[in-house]
Amino acid sequence: MKKVLSMILALALAASALAACGGSASSSAPASAAGSEAGSAPASTAEPTGDYAGQTLKVAAIETAYGVEMWQQVADAFEAKTGATVELTTDKNLEDVIDPQMKAGNFYDVVHLATGREKALPETMLKENAILEVTDVLDMKVLGEDVTVGEKIIPGFTGNLTTNPYGDEKVYMMPMFYGPCGLFYNKANFTEGGGELELPETWDELFALADQTDIPLFTYPTAGYLDAFTYAMIAEVGGQDFFNKALQYDEETWNSAGIDTMFDILGQLAANTNPATPSYANNDNFTKNQQMILDNEALFMPNGNWVIGEMADAPRADGFEWGFMALPAVEEGGDRYSYTFFEQSWIPAGAENPELAKLFLTFLYSDEAADIFAEAGGAVQPITGMTDKLSADNQVYYSVYDNGAKAAIGTFATTAPVEGVNLKDDLCFTMDSVVSGTKTVDEWKTAVRTTVDTLRGAL
Amino acid sequence: MQKNKARSRFIVACVAPACILAFIFMVVPTFNVFRMSLFRWGGYSPNQTFVGLQNFITLFQDEDFFRSCRNSILLIVLVTVVTLSFALLFAFILTREKIRGQNLFRIVFYIPNILSVVVISAIFSAIYDSNRGLLNSILSLFRGDADPIYWLGDQKIVIYSLAIAMVWQAIGYYMVMYMASMSSIPESLYESANLEGASRTRQFFSITLPLIWTNIRTTLTFFIISNINMSFLFVKAMTGGGPDGSTEVFLSYMYSQAYTNSTYGYGMAIGVVVFSFSFALSALVNFVTKREPLEF
Repeated sequence: MKKVLSMILALALAASALAACGGSASSSAPASAAGSEAGSAPASTAEPTGDYAGQTLKVAAIETAYGVEMWQQVADAFEAKTGATVELTTDKNLEDVIDPQMKAGNFYDVVHLATGREKALPETMLKENAILEVTDVLDMKVLGEDVTVGEKIIPGFTGNLTTNPYGDEKVYMMPMFYGPCGLFYNKANFTEGGGELELPETWDELFALADQTDIPLFTYPTAGYLDAFTYAMIAEVGGQDFFNKALQYDEETWNSAGIDTMFDILGQLAANTNPATPSYANNDNFTKNQQMILDNEALFMPNGNWVIGEMADAPRADGFEWGFMALPAVEEGGDRYSYTFFEQSWIPAGAENPELAKLFLTFLYSDEAADIFAEAGGAVQPITGMTDKLSADNQVYYSVYDNGAKAAIGTFATTAPVEGVNLKDDLCFTMDSVVSGTKTVDEWKTAVRTTVDTLRGAL
Repeated sequence: MQKNKARSRFIVACVAPACILAFIFMVVPTFNVFRMSLFRWGGYSPNQTFVGLQNFITLFQDEDFFRSCRNSILLIVLVTVVTLSFALLFAFILTREKIRGQNLFRIVFYIPNILSVVVISAIFSAIYDSNRGLLNSILSLFRGDADPIYWLGDQKIVIYSLAIAMVWQAIGYYMVMYMASMSSIPESLYESANLEGASRTRQFFSITLPLIWTNIRTTLTFFIISNINMSFLFVKAMTGGGPDGSTEVFLSYMYSQAYTNSTYGYGMAIGVVVFSFSFALSALVNFVTKREPLEF
C-alpha cells in the first residue's frame, strides 16, 4: 500500500512539473497573467449592448512619457461605443511582455509600439512579414464620424516609408502621436532672448558662430539621436525626391555630391562638438549631454520636444529658455527641414480579431480619442486641425512647419535582415568615433556607402 | 529480488522529475541554439530558411564580431588575473595578519558583490564623469588644467574603465571564498615555518597557495564563465557597447544581432561560438592547472 502511495505521489510530482512547462499551450491563461503583472487594467463592465457585444479586443500599448491614463480612457470610450470588451496591456518595456506571448502564438489584436527602439520588435516583424496590411483602414469611416481615416490624417503621414515600409502602396503601420525634431538651444544666447549671437539660418552661419563664442557649437544626447537629424539633412541636401530615393538605398543618390555635402557638414559638426559628448553618449548618462544646453556648454542639440519634460527638474543657467528651430539650410535661401517623428500602431498578422482591430484603429483618429490623447497625455494625433487645440507651450514646437520649415517624414525602407549589417550603427554611431578622432569623415562615408550597397541587395 | 526491483522503480520515479526538467530547460534549448544557428530566421515568422553553415562563414568575416571577441578575451584575461591576485592577497592579509577592524574590511570588500550591476554602473559613471567626476578631480591636482581624460568616451581607454569596475565588483566574493579555505589550513604549519625563518611571502607561496590550490582551480573556471556573463551586464549598463561599438563583447554583440538587427539565426551562431569557446577555455584551464592535490 505504501509503495503504491509513494508511486502515485512521485507520478503526481512529475506530472505537475510537466504541466508547468506545457503552460504556454493553453492560450488564455498566460496572456491574462502577464497582463496583470504588466499593469493591465480590468476591462470596465460595459453593458453588452453594442454591435460588437461579446467580442474581445486585445490591445497592447507602450507606456511612454504620455502615461497610460489616456489609453485606459480611449479603451473605455471604445467599449462604450461598440460594446466590445477591451483587454488593455501597457508596460514601459512592452516588448518584454508581448514578445514571449507572440512567440508562443498568443497574438494581440492592436499593438501601439513605434519603430526605432533597441529591441526593434516592429522592425523584426516587418522583416518577417508578420504585420497585417491595413491599407483598407484609410478608406474606412472613422468610428462615430462621417469622414474616412485617410481624409483626417494630415497629408504626408501616410504613403511614406514608415507607414508603407516596403516602398509600395500598401500601408502596414498607422501613424500616431507625432512631434517635430530639430535643434534645441538656449534662447538667452541669441538676440531673440537678449543675447549677442545671431540665430543662424544656414550651416555656414552656424559654423561661423565658433569665432564669436567660446561655447562649443554642438552636442547630442546619444549618437542614436542623429537618425532624425540625418534624415532631415538628407532632405536638405537634395529635396523630397532625393530623400525618398535615399531611403530606398538608391545607388546614384548615395554616390551623389549631395551626400558628400552632408558628410562635410557632419564632419564640421563633429569638429565643433563638445569633446565630452561621446563619454556621456550612453543610456546611463545621456542627460548629462542634454544638461550641456542648460549649462551653456554647447549651443545646439538635436532632439524632440519630449526633452523639455525630461529635463524639467534640471538646474539651468540664468535666464535660460528653450528655443527650437529646424535645421539650418545648406545655402542661403535654401529649404530648411525638420524631421517629423511619429509613433505607430499596427495589427500583428496573427491577430484573432482583425476586423474589430481595424475598427479600433479608425477610432484612434476620432475627435473624441484625439481629445483624450491630447488632454490626458499631451500626445498629438496627426489629424488636421489638431494643432489649434494645443497648449501655447506645445504650439511653439508644432508651429515650426508654419514658419517655413519643411517636414521630412519616413524611415529607411525595410529590407530582409542582413547578418552583421546595421545602417543606423554605421550612419549614426560612427559620429562618436569622428568626434573623438578615431575615424575620419571619409572612412565614415565609405562605410555608410558599403552598408547601403549591401542593404540595396536585400530589398 | 522483488524488493530490489521496487526500490529501483521508486528511485527512477523520484529522479524523473528533475531529469525531465533538466532535459526540457537545459538540453532542449541548447540543442535549439545549435539547430537555429543553421537557419536564417528573424524570430517571428514560420519561414525559417536552412542555410547550412552560411551564418558561420559570415561570422568569420565579420570585423565587428572579431572586435567583440578581442574585447571579451581582454576582459576575461585582465579581470581574471587582477581579481584573483588581489582577492588572494587580501584574503591572505585578512586571515594571517592581525589588523584592527578586520571584520569591517571583510564587509567593505564584500559589499560591491551585493550591489546590482546597475547601481555599480551608476557609481562608476559618477567616478568616471569627465567634467565633474571623482577620478578626474583627483587627477587634476597633478595634471593641472590639461584636457580631462574621457574614461568612457576615449575608445582606447573605455574597455579598461569597464575592467576596473568589474574587478571592484568581483574581488570581495572571491576573497571570502579564499578566506574560508585559508582559515582551514592548520596553524601549526605556519608556526613551524616561522621557526624555520620563512618570510611572509615565502609562507604564502609555499604553504597557503599549494594548500588552497583545488579551491583556486574551481573558482578560476567558475570565474571565467561568469566573466562572460558579467561583462555583458556591465557593458549594457555602462556603455551600451559604445562609443561606436568599441566595448561590444560576445553577448552584447549576440544580443544586438539576434534582436536589434533581426537576425536571430546569426545571433544563435554567435551563441554557438561563445558556448564552444567557454567550454574549451574551461577545459583548457582545468587541464593547465591540474596538480597533485596536497593534503594536510
